[in-house]
Order: sequence, then C-alpha cells, then structure tokens
Amino acid sequence: MEQPGTTTPLTGAVRELATQVVSALTSGGHSPMSAHTPVTVGDDELGLAAVRVLGADVLLPAVLHRTLPAPADLAVCEKAVLAYPPGPDASPASRWSHWAMVRTLADLGAPTAHTSFENPEPDAAWLEDLPWQGLAHQLALLAALAVPGADSAVAGIARRRTVDVARGFVRAVRRRGWLQAAATGRWLTLLDDVPDTLGLDAGLAFVALMGGDDPRVALHLQAARPVLPGAAAGRT
Amino acid sequence: MTSYEYELRDRTKISDTDIEAALDPGEAQGFYRDTRECAALALQAGAGQVLLAPPAPRPKKG
Repeated sequence: MEQPGTTTPLTGAVRELATQVVSALTSGGHSPMSAHTPVTVGDDELGLAAVRVLGADVLLPAVLHRTLPAPADLAVCEKAVLAYPPGPDASPASRWSHWAMVRTLADLGAPTAHTSFENPEPDAAWLEDLPWQGLAHQLALLAALAVPGADSAVAGIARRRTVDVARGFVRAVRRRGWLQAAATGRWLTLLDDVPDTLGLDAGLAFVALMGGDDPRVALHLQAARPVLPGAAAGRT
Repeated sequence: MTSYEYELRDRTKISDTDIEAALDPGEAQGFYRDTRECAALALQAGAGQVLLAPPAPRPKKG
C-alpha cells in the first residue's frame, strides 16, 4: 500500500475523489429514480487517472444505494477505462480493477459498456497459493471487488480463505496499516464463517477511530457498513 | 503552446507506469508504536536512566 509521505498529484487527486465518494455514500437517502450528484470533477488527464485508480468504487454510491449513477460519472468512468487499459505487463491488481470497472459500468447500464469491451475474468488462481500475509495485501488492493452480490473468482477465493483474511485484518491493525485493515475488513463483512473471536465490529470501529481521516480508509469502512452486524439497527 | 505550457503538461502527464504504481503498490512498512517506544526506552535504559518495564503489581495489604 502507499508509503507515508509519498504524496503525488495523482495520489492527491485519488484522495480528493475518495472524499467525494465518501460524501455521497454518507449522504444516502436518494430516490431510486433520481441520479446521484456527480462525484467526479472532470475528465482532464489527472481526473481520469484518479478515476482509473479508485476504480469501480467511483460508482459505489449508486451500487450500494441502488440508485441511478450520475451520467457524468458514468461518462468519466468509461473514458478512464478506455484511456488506461491494462497493458501486456500489467499487474493482476490492474487487470482486476479494470475488469471490475467494466462490469460495474455494464451493470449500471452504461451506454457503451456492453459493446465496447470484451471482459473475460482475469486469472485468480495465483491467489490460492499466496501466504496469508500476501493474500491480505492483494485482497486489500482488490477491495473494489468486495461488493454485496457481486461475485468473482477473487471473491470465491476470499470465501475459501476466510481465516487467512481474518489473520490479515488483525495483522494490518497491529501494523497500523489502516488502509489495508479497512480493506480486509470490508472483505470480511461479506464472508461467512468469520471467527467470532475476531471482533470484527469493534475492530472496524477502531480502524475508523485511528485511520478514518484518510478518505480511502473511510471509503472502505463505508462500503463495509451496510452489512456490518447491527448496521441496520443504526449501530455504527 | 508556450514553453511554459509544454513544461506544465509534462509535469502533470500521468503515465501508465504511474497508474500501475498506484494500483499495485508494495506493502507499506508496519508501524509498531510499541516497538519504537520500547526501542527508545531501551536506549535510555542503556544509559542507566530508566527501567524498561514498570514493577510487577503487588497485592494490596489488608
């Protein structure tokens, strides 16, 4: 994950975009018939790159609230997908991020998503053999795939290695890696058979307390909230 | 386009490498506050200033 103190224009733009997404997620209460306020601010090069890095999470408010996405956000996401396709040497994280964007665009009815992209699932078998520490790191990078009801090969591996994901969550908290902790916690809220002894609810609250100032941490925590035990009853 | 605009464009140009680095960063070093505090205490203890750990609690009398 990002090293402290390495702020670039791109990382700054990603944080700004994440802040807008968190704001849209926390505002909630939109009518299913009315579109969200756009979270993207433009389709200049830096803006498109930030959208490509944040990936499908740019559209998370519409996905989680089951509302219409802002047409401007759909358009910018489509441009980002076209502008920054994974290259031949791209990492699995890049391939999966691109795949998730295309799938989300198609699910939300983006005009060209069905016709412009062939979108086979990237390979995920390599995750099976990773030690649990590496698995947690990679799943944290792929946390945009951790969406209720959105299945993928990555989600299948997370389900089969729930205990390892839980270990990764604890390790991230102990290392004070709040972004990785929030991301692995986001995965765990979707998984069955999470050990009760983990204390996930309290752990996520602790991560929010310690790392919630980072908008990317806050985004993962907001993504985890709807399915947290007790969230429906208003508990945070 | 002026030379300044060229320079500005180059400065803000986002390459595929930048995107890849942002999407697939290495894992950050862990930050263990306790370890650092202990290390500081160890240094001070080496100078004979403090003990590394507080005394063990003792049962209260009466």
